[in-house]
Amino acid sequence: MPESKLVDNLDLDNYKYGFVDSESHVYRTKPGLDESIVREISRQKEEPDWMLQFRLKALKIYESKPMPTWGGDLSDLEATLDEIYFYVKPQEQTERSWEDVPDKIKNTFERLGIPEAEQKSLAGVGAQYESEMVYHSLKEEWASKGVIFDSIEDGLKNHPELFKEHFGKVIPIADNKFSALNAAVWSGGSFVYIPKGVHLDTPLQAYFRVNQEKMGQFERTLIIVEEGAHATYVEGCTAPVYSTDSFHSGVIEIVVKKDARFRYTTIQNWSNNMYNLVTQRAVVQENATMEWLDGNLGSKLTMKYPSCYLVGKGAHGSIMSIAYAGPGQHQDTGGKVVHAAENTTSSIISKSISKEDGRSTYRGLCKVHEGAKGSRSNVECDALLINDTSRTDTYPYIEVDEKQANVGHEATVSKVGDEQLFYLKNRGLSEEEAMGLVVRGFLEPIAKELPLEYAVELNRLIEMEMEGSVG
Amino acid sequence: MADNSTYHSWLNEKRSHAWSVYQSTPTPTTKSEEWRYTDLAKLFPLEQIILEMGLVDSTQRPNREDLIEETNTAGRIQLTDGLVTNIQVDPAVDSQGVGLDSIQNTTYEKYQEIIRTNLCSHVLPPESGKFQALNAALWKDGVVIYVPKNVHVKMPIRGKHTLSTGNSAVCARTLIIAEEGSHVSYVEEFHSDDFSNKSMVSSSVEVVAHRNASVDFVSVQNLGRGIFFQVAQKSLVHRDACVNTLNVNLGSSLSRLDLNTRLLEPGANSKMLGLYFGDKDQHFDHNTSQDHLAPHTRSDLLYKGALDGNSRAAFRGIIRVHSGAQQSDAYQTNRTLLLSEQARADSLPNLEIEADDVKCSHGSTVGQLDPETIFYLLSRGFSRQQAERLIVLGFLGDVMTKLPHGAFRRVVKNVTDAVEQKLRHG
Repeated sequence: MPESKLVDNLDLDNYKYGFVDSESHVYRTKPGLDESIVREISRQKEEPDWMLQFRLKALKIYESKPMPTWGGDLSDLEATLDEIYFYVKPQEQTERSWEDVPDKIKNTFERLGIPEAEQKSLAGVGAQYESEMVYHSLKEEWASKGVIFDSIEDGLKNHPELFKEHFGKVIPIADNKFSALNAAVWSGGSFVYIPKGVHLDTPLQAYFRVNQEKMGQFERTLIIVEEGAHATYVEGCTAPVYSTDSFHSGVIEIVVKKDARFRYTTIQNWSNNMYNLVTQRAVVQENATMEWLDGNLGSKLTMKYPSCYLVGKGAHGSIMSIAYAGPGQHQDTGGKVVHAAENTTSSIISKSISKEDGRSTYRGLCKVHEGAKGSRSNVECDALLINDTSRTDTYPYIEVDEKQANVGHEATVSKVGDEQLFYLKNRGLSEEEAMGLVVRGFLEPIAKELPLEYAVELNRLIEMEMEGSVG
Repeated sequence: MADNSTYHSWLNEKRSHAWSVYQSTPTPTTKSEEWRYTDLAKLFPLEQIILEMGLVDSTQRPNREDLIEETNTAGRIQLTDGLVTNIQVDPAVDSQGVGLDSIQNTTYEKYQEIIRTNLCSHVLPPESGKFQALNAALWKDGVVIYVPKNVHVKMPIRGKHTLSTGNSAVCARTLIIAEEGSHVSYVEEFHSDDFSNKSMVSSSVEVVAHRNASVDFVSVQNLGRGIFFQVAQKSLVHRDACVNTLNVNLGSSLSRLDLNTRLLEPGANSKMLGLYFGDKDQHFDHNTSQDHLAPHTRSDLLYKGALDGNSRAAFRGIIRVHSGAQQSDAYQTNRTLLLSEQARADSLPNLEIEADDVKCSHGSTVGQLDPETIFYLLSRGFSRQQAERLIVLGFLGDVMTKLPHGAFRRVVKNVTDAVEQKLRHG
């Protein structure tokens, strides 16, 4: 059997979340973006004036920044942005009880397996539909310990001081064109606060769904992990398949304080007509650990580089990334670590698979500032190419300003070897099983880190996409 | 003797064209990806030197004589301020039809046709970039090496560039054409005093290795401070041919190397070596690319350097395996040792792979002297200075051991001496 056929059998391209609900929303802005839309979003959310000013300032910055040309092809995006809905309100408020969520939306999430996931050992679940979190709940056990897991809007309403202290500080408005856009029109996302010393032993999960055609989703998440606290956060994303392009541009800001430990897992499985341009960054303080686990399977174009700013002595950052670029897809992903304090350590491991005319790009930065003595960083990238039309690129930026630092980068590119297949077939495996084994083995170092036993949804996705019908 | 007048007016036409390209090409800024780590406006504002287009009317042919009683050299060519002044060729090599000549004032008319076919056109046209255009407009003279079919020039040809005054822009060109099945090696050295005025030395090197030919090209730069050394090298490698390069950067204040090897046909092969040692406020920028355009091609790049004082080095390399270049092997390694607190290294080893059946890897490290190795040497009775010297020489020497064959003994010694000298002063 030809190799491409074998990979087809792995079922990597079968998109099971492409179904559509009939449109249902209580409010939406007209397509496109101008100041009146930004004002309207703010008015709908009954925001304090400082937030409106923040949004208006961001809109100006967004308009002044040119479209980036260094990464994926964004030449059609400008036209797309004129046509999409920047704000679609699906219901009046965020529900605490699953029963109160409108049936239509509930059915969608049930098809995606969200309430089941909650029943299985998750600490809390949030679900976003179009522009708003429709549902947010946290187990009583954790709420009583002071853990906050709210929609971002509720975070602003109920914890204004804490919110204002951190919001827009990790990722400033002007960081890039899309962080500015998000700052202008953000809607939905989570506000998470883990108090000092609290160890969440099960993950918090947020789920993002875009249903509306020509929709722009701009969630904004702010996570504060206090000293010595431990937590894990999982996000998943899907959308229906439309003939027109949609747009998702989130901003995730995380503060990991002294001795704390936080893991952020994303399994992005957007439909193949989605632009996914996300800015994710964590500030990591003394002896704290931040881990990004980034799975990019869907979307038309993803540009996403989770980053760790290691600002406290002994801070550690880890980025593990899996990308799958199928036909017509471009995964431009990677990671960024900035060593700005002594004895900080980091590791980036990236694995990608490109199939047919899919293109996967690793783009990363490892920067060691002067004075960050004893810093160590290691970056490893492996790319697997399935067809002769597949493409992979590696662009690792390494900038070292400090003598007492050790930084290394390694990358390999390979195909599934005939010899590997031959050997496995020799041992009695069918060709399909052999192919499955090789691909799984390639992804294993990262796949084993995924919280399979907790996130049911994630589990299903990984099984479906990575392991498919083989083995 | 050749009548050079029509040839000269042809050369001047090429220069005029290049000058118009130069004028219409914007000066690179750090906004461009390829100049990300080198801020020309700050390090070497072009306004500080006088760059004027002047048509070249020199018709003075260089002195030419036989090279005798030198066993490990096939020929010598001397350039002063970019003009070829002396040429010496081993009569045995000369009789095989090997050409070593000035580009501007060729001794033999037969090389003019080769120059017309290859110079500033299909290899390195002025459109390649701002400095490629500048060189193509302002060059006054250069070296042409032509090796006929199946001729093996066993010993290296040596070129020497010297500079007598500062406050100038000296542009030179090198054109090496190796016909089918031939072999040649060329070692060029750049030397000068330190200049208080800013000066620029520009070198454009074009190499074509035809089927089954092999070319070794070594360039050692030990120019004085105050100089911006700008180099563009491009190699075209045909079927089963091989082009190996070594670029050593020790001198100058600012050095920028653009190196591109194009493996055009199956079996083409290239080894690309680099070595640099920076001190004080030296700034080195290496921009390399390996283009695999055919199946069964192979490239292997290794650039190593050590940085002392306030010096800074940037490496930006790219391997492009183009669609259809199956079963290519491409490797790329950049390693930098930081010897001082103020030194800085940036490394950007890129890959763009559009074929699936390839072996490809790249690696990059930036680090310090290994404390355990130093400790070991101290425990064996070496002083700290001796220990550091040994480690640095061993680290850089790794590149030299990959030189193709024994003909480069003298180069290895010269480079080692120069590195040692820099270590002593550092």
